[in-house]
Amino acid sequence: MTSEDHAASAVVAQKIERRWAAISILIVVFLTAMAAVAGIHQATMPQARVEIIDPEKIHLSGEFVETNLGSAIEPDGSVTVRAVGQQYSFTPQCILVPVDTKVTFRATSADVVHGLLIQQTNVNTMLVPGYVSEQVARFSRVGDHLMPCQEFCSVGHEGMWAMVKVIDRNEFMSLAASKRRVSCVE
Amino acid sequence: MLNSRRLVLAHFWMAFGGFGLALLLGAWQMFIRSPLAGWIGNPEWYYRSVTAHGTIMGYVFPTLIAMGFGYAITETSLKAPIAGVRWAWAGIALILIGSIMAMIPVSAGLASVLYTFYPPMIGNPFYYIGVVLVVVGSWIWVALMSINLIRWKRANSGKPVPLAMYANVAGSYLWGWTAVGAALELILQIIPVAVGLRSTIDAGLARIFFSWTLHAIVYFWLIPTYIAYYTIVPRAIGGKLYSDSMARISFVLFLVVAMPIGIHHTFADPMVGAGFKFVHSVFTAIVALPTLLTVFTICASVEIASRLRGGRGPFGWLVALPWNNPTMLAVTFSFIMLGFGGAGGLINMSYQLDASIHNTQWITGHFHLIFGGAIVIMYFVIAYDLWPHLTGRNLANLSLMRLQLWLWFIGMIVTTFPWHYVGILGMPRRMAYYDYTHPAIADQALPVILSATGGLILVVSAALFFVILIRGHLSEKADPGEYRFSVAVHPPQRVPVALNSHGLWVGLMIALTATNYGFPILQLAVRSDTSVPAVYVGVK
Amino acid sequence: MNPERLLSLTNRWFSTSVGLTLVIFLSSAICGFLLLPYADADSRFSGIWDAICNAAGFPVKSSATDIIQPEFKISGATLGLAELTSPSPQSIGRGATLAQQCAICHGPEGVSRADAPNLAGQYAQVIYKQLHDFRSGARTNATMGPFAAHMNDRDMIDLAAYYAYLPRIPSSRDSAEVPLIVASGAPTRGIAPCGSCHGTIERKIGSPWLNGQPAAYIEAQLRYFASGARRNDTNQQMRNIARALTDDEIKAVASYYAGTQ
Repeated sequence: MTSEDHAASAVVAQKIERRWAAISILIVVFLTAMAAVAGIHQATMPQARVEIIDPEKIHLSGEFVETNLGSAIEPDGSVTVRAVGQQYSFTPQCILVPVDTKVTFRATSADVVHGLLIQQTNVNTMLVPGYVSEQVARFSRVGDHLMPCQEFCSVGHEGMWAMVKVIDRNEFMSLAASKRRVSCVE
Repeated sequence: MLNSRRLVLAHFWMAFGGFGLALLLGAWQMFIRSPLAGWIGNPEWYYRSVTAHGTIMGYVFPTLIAMGFGYAITETSLKAPIAGVRWAWAGIALILIGSIMAMIPVSAGLASVLYTFYPPMIGNPFYYIGVVLVVVGSWIWVALMSINLIRWKRANSGKPVPLAMYANVAGSYLWGWTAVGAALELILQIIPVAVGLRSTIDAGLARIFFSWTLHAIVYFWLIPTYIAYYTIVPRAIGGKLYSDSMARISFVLFLVVAMPIGIHHTFADPMVGAGFKFVHSVFTAIVALPTLLTVFTICASVEIASRLRGGRGPFGWLVALPWNNPTMLAVTFSFIMLGFGGAGGLINMSYQLDASIHNTQWITGHFHLIFGGAIVIMYFVIAYDLWPHLTGRNLANLSLMRLQLWLWFIGMIVTTFPWHYVGILGMPRRMAYYDYTHPAIADQALPVILSATGGLILVVSAALFFVILIRGHLSEKADPGEYRFSVAVHPPQRVPVALNSHGLWVGLMIALTATNYGFPILQLAVRSDTSVPAVYVGVK
Repeated sequence: MNPERLLSLTNRWFSTSVGLTLVIFLSSAICGFLLLPYADADSRFSGIWDAICNAAGFPVKSSATDIIQPEFKISGATLGLAELTSPSPQSIGRGATLAQQCAICHGPEGVSRADAPNLAGQYAQVIYKQLHDFRSGARTNATMGPFAAHMNDRDMIDLAAYYAYLPRIPSSRDSAEVPLIVASGAPTRGIAPCGSCHGTIERKIGSPWLNGQPAAYIEAQLRYFASGARRNDTNQQMRNIARALTDDEIKAVASYYAGTQ
């Protein structure tokens, strides 16, 4: 190879390389745009606010006292579920929600970091003591789901499982009419 | 020239020794939580094991590999003995002391908090202090890499820094800075509570600090692998590096964007604002760029090797590749695993998709595929490639090496693919056992068994790896000649100063850390009402 | 030696990389702090600064209305007191004097001859919490209520210190046969191994040491928790477990811890 050939081949190599770099950048831009567009159109944003709360006092007053936990109907017809995670259970242990309804989960931890995951759904959030987690969901089918703790919370983590029952909306409404907070804990 | 052979060997043996132990623990954990074993009588043993496995595999093993390889690169690429060999020994000694100090309370069940710490759980202070010593030991290496490069540059003004050294120093700066997050978490938050000076801790702030380290640490683990892709693979298979400057660009991109993206680990957390989550999501997407560039450059370099061997046609050249060469095999496996792992990673980085798999076994599958698979298989190659130069003896049994690499690849796929699958089904991570008789999770039993089998294959492969290395110490003496790195097709005569130094990129890395982490950290650090009582573990 | 200056706008590497970084950061910040918060229908922001502050994660105090307050007393005992973890000899001595009135049921050395709980070697926080709850009415018991009503915090701390100081009765049980429900719990029913809170594996502050307690006492308390007759367990942590236990499991747990199994 002469030095001239060499220089020419370097130019070609650089051209191909640049083309690939451009493709790579396009891939990245596309991915980012996809996330942004999905965020805008499907409103699947992370929780909008950082809310703080004293985990040592949640059982005494405020929205996480035990009688206020469970599912409540809001004036706009949506449902708010409040729950507490602690070593090693969720309260309430069985959560009842209506199908095809906007459900807002509000939860916090009483001690260490826990996680809240409802199997077969996209409900999945961390519970960090000192902060309130919020996630909005909509269940499209009636049925039961397991709700394990998904973050290591010390020995006993493997025993931290709760249940979520999705029931018919009318059934839920009639239950909620007699009690202001409902759950499926017996 | 490789003067400090004992130093490099010490790093490699300590690294692989720890790796072997941690691998056995990992395989045991997979067995224990599968339907093959009865429920373990005391779940704490399981969490103890996970803590040891994670601490060794995450903090000790890759760090020592990067250090040992870094010292080897310094001597072979700069063609001068390392300045500060005594300090280098001090560094590895600190790591040894730190590891032992950390592992004593872990073995005693006094620090089963997992390598991710998770305050407000607080374990024995010696565990944390041990981890800090490991980090401090590795910082000595960071300083030595920098000093050696500066010294060489002074003597060789204007000459291009050899690619391997350029990348190696980039990796060391990345580690130096990314380790600061966990160090701050340990020194400012956890250790004061662990020794009893304070009794409350901000768990949310700790998670932010940890994310500073936890994501970029993966790129630090990756750097030796990428150095091997660029500077070992093309030479080992008889080819040339397609482009020297693209390689440099990839490494500096890692340096800049590996850092300001860690909050994607906390997409589902309540203590970070949605705006910062989005910003981190964008930068996470950019970190795919250096990998995409690398895939191209390495595939092109491999194609060059094939064409030099007479490969023809748009795809026919694949046949002409030196498939008998273990390095060729390993880089192929590594790319396949990187491809699958990377595709999974794209799902994790988008916070809409992340919700369906966050903290499930999918994540375990993801990082084992990337780290245990794509990265570690190249650590094997690095060892195989350096061993004759370190021992002055032959490493001749290629078929055993091929078998070992095949087993590692198959083992990793069999281990991690079922993990991804059960993750989609919603199987949570890090549980000591599962009740597979429950109808809702009964269908996870089979994939879990399959994955535990994969763990066994990995153990066999690692055992072979040790056999090969030990035999390498016993075989007949042979002169391996001078250690060489790949040569570029168009070797650079002059490199732009930006790609011959790290200042600009380190500056951008620190600036982006300030913009992307500054506010989330400061606004919590100045408050006292976000701290919660510590929960001490290992207390009876 | 080197004519090329790195940190200068004339160096295109410098200007391009810094410029690109700025552009990417600013555009992602505009998108993340302005466009996306506004697009989120649920966020109900009052204005641009509200949107930016929330997207930045500036913490707000959780405030909810329409809270259903309990009609019963909730345990408000604070267990983090330093005197409970490292008591003074004076505290233990005072506790010993006070404990004389407890001896009829709980035994002179804290080991009961009736089916009252054995207090010897019990964690100080546990005794303090229960006394506190008996006094406040968070836990009701015809015998203990009147006793606790006359105690002040000092008395409770001293009693707790004294009983924690007494040696535990040695376990008489063969360690071989641990019921599955005790050793492993029942994960998908939300039952962790008993020992993960009650001290054999790990200890959760406020959970009692159970070994050697009378079977009748353990069984009764589990049933009270299950029915809701006893509810001084913070955030229902024990009611959650007790409700999920079967009748047989309650008996197995009680006789295992009593050492009668």
